[in-house]
Amino acid sequence: MTADRNGVEADLLQFVQSRGPRHADVTADTDLLDGGLLDSLLLTDLILHIEGQYGMQFEGADVSPGNFRSVSAMADLVLNQLAAPRQPA
Amino acid sequence: MKWPLADRPVPERQVPLYNRFYLHAPKASHVDPTLVWGTEIDAEALQSFLRERNRAGRVVVTTAHALIRATALALAQFPDMNVRMVGRRIYAFRDVSIRMGFVHRGSGEIDLLLVRAADLKSLEEIALEIWQRLVQASRGAGSRDRDLARLRRVPSFWFRQVLRLYSFLDRRFRLPALGRLDELRGGCAMVNDLSFAGAPPMRSYKPTRFPDQSDSLNLTLGPMESKVVARSDQFMSTTVMPLFLRADHRLVDAYQVGRFLALVRDLLSHPERLDAPADQPAKPDAGAGSTIRP
Repeated sequence: MTADRNGVEADLLQFVQSRGPRHADVTADTDLLDGGLLDSLLLTDLILHIEGQYGMQFEGADVSPGNFRSVSAMADLVLNQLAAPRQPA
Repeated sequence: MKWPLADRPVPERQVPLYNRFYLHAPKASHVDPTLVWGTEIDAEALQSFLRERNRAGRVVVTTAHALIRATALALAQFPDMNVRMVGRRIYAFRDVSIRMGFVHRGSGEIDLLLVRAADLKSLEEIALEIWQRLVQASRGAGSRDRDLARLRRVPSFWFRQVLRLYSFLDRRFRLPALGRLDELRGGCAMVNDLSFAGAPPMRSYKPTRFPDQSDSLNLTLGPMESKVVARSDQFMSTTVMPLFLRADHRLVDAYQVGRFLALVRDLLSHPERLDAPADQPAKPDAGAGSTIRP
């Protein structure tokens, strides 16, 4: 699967912004953790969305602050995973 | 097969007299042993701690993980509260295990998970374990998810019969935990983190009690809200979170509940104390501490 950075970022940004009034002003670089905008419900929904949309598989250890700090960081994660060679089943 | 409870019950002579009034009250008296105590924690300290932890940590840590760790450390300090009833006898749990409710994104329902020996795990270990389960649940791919899916297909009549039989046995006998569905009976404390975005201010909360009778304690954390307080003769705005504890007077009294809740509150308001290693347990404030031993 191929995906361009702008497309992934726009998709994830729309997902986060649609969460409610507190999230409407989020930008790609907003620190979601510092701003208290990333609760476990949103994080789980993001994981589910990314897995469904981009065919990735998360583990508990992937739920790190570095991967989910901002929409931009999540886009990096998606693009890195898509670029990485697939492990044989 | 695991045996979550100690082999022998707490001797009756160690049970305070007024707890025994509730314990042995006849059904006809319509006794209500439920105790609820609400307080507040300093949310600014907790949020600041979590922000700092999430800057450098390996795993995202949330208020729910802090609540589990605080409850576990407090229960380790108050072992006489880490108990449940079987019949009219009181049994201590072998471990300090905490169950938590979460939204199961795979099924769109509430589900529960159990963090075993949570007093011996670091905040990050607890967080990692919970994320693992939440990620698994969002896919509906875990073995527990398959068990729950099977359970949902059981017709109402048989569901009721199974529940009645299970409840009958659970109330009367010290049972082992046999599978993934009944492993949740392994801890006396259930925690709810209801501080999610969009939750209304919480003034009062009385959690339900699960039918299996094992969750004798429930701690619920509500959403943050701003409040004006007086400090050093000055009014200032601060952020607080409500914290409610539901307990059972057959097992504990209001004095114990108050001291236990004070310790949980202290740990959440001074969250650096959550990092206390297992061999150096959190120090309760003056006046806290255990009086009877199971």
